[in-house]
Amino acid sequence: MIPLAHYLILSGILFSIGLAGVLIRKNIIVVFMCLEMMLTASNVALVAFSRAQGTAGVPVYDAQVLSLFITGIAAAEVAIGLALIVAMFRARRTVESSALNSLKD
Amino acid sequence: MFETSLCQILFYVLAALAVLCAAGVVAYRNPVNSAMCMAVCFAMVAAIFFGMGAQFLGIVQLIVYAGAILVLFLFVVMMLDIHDEGQSRGSYIHAAIGVLVAGVFAGLVIKVSINLPGAHDNTCPAITLCESAGELLIGDARKVSPAQTAAPQYGGCLPELSAAAAARLENPAISAADAAKATSIPDVKLLGKCLYTYYNIPFVILGFALLSGTVGAVALARKIRKD
Repeated sequence: MIPLAHYLILSGILFSIGLAGVLIRKNIIVVFMCLEMMLTASNVALVAFSRAQGTAGVPVYDAQVLSLFITGIAAAEVAIGLALIVAMFRARRTVESSALNSLKD
Repeated sequence: MFETSLCQILFYVLAALAVLCAAGVVAYRNPVNSAMCMAVCFAMVAAIFFGMGAQFLGIVQLIVYAGAILVLFLFVVMMLDIHDEGQSRGSYIHAAIGVLVAGVFAGLVIKVSINLPGAHDNTCPAITLCESAGELLIGDARKVSPAQTAAPQYGGCLPELSAAAAARLENPAISAADAAKATSIPDVKLLGKCLYTYYNIPFVILGFALLSGTVGAVALARKIRKD
């Protein structure tokens, strides 16, 4: 079977790639995609922990419920975030984060 | 064990593809390409969920992330018609700092994961951690206590799923012979039981959060009249 550590490493690598994307990219839409990827990485770790804790042969479903909540909140967050991006594009005609350099236009 | 080795190979292939596609999200200049890479990455993660026996979460991952969220992203990318892609990446110093920070974080996570307490001495990491915290022996918990020997054998690997144990959890009154006849784990049933009993109120609050999110998105994205 696959060790728990390998799932955690996969989760950590996915999270790090998302973190790198948030730090490197200037396009806010791509930054937002990378944020979603970080949430997914945490989901992987949670599901792996739910399997690892269930030593009697049944997963601990609390972790999976938490993972489900993360997915639901991510959906709401994406709706609001994309609406904010659309509003920002209407105001500034750009989605570059480097263009956000003034408080009032 | 052909099936076990197949599961292992599939996991590593899927994990490699997921990491590749995740790198593609960051690397592609065109946001549509990034969105497609993200879809493949989330599909791979869903397949890994299936491999871990979390079928419901795998389906949710596919429907919510690879379905709904991806479509939202694509709609916004196409609606905004982003033309200037040349300046989308910053200077090399900026990129190097980002890669450095993420690399340090990845190294930290990998080091902690490999050195999980209990990963090498056949005990569950959570149980070992609790005991180590109690005895202030983190990192050097080689002393075997009674509770540790009583803990189920773990071996650093995820334990096999047991349909009989699931049947007993679902219906405590079931006889051992009937439980042994169970062939599959009712994943959705057990998850739903947990969700609608212990986590009922958070679940309702999640519904309100989704509703307010939808209303907020409509309020934010509507055209504001200037008159």
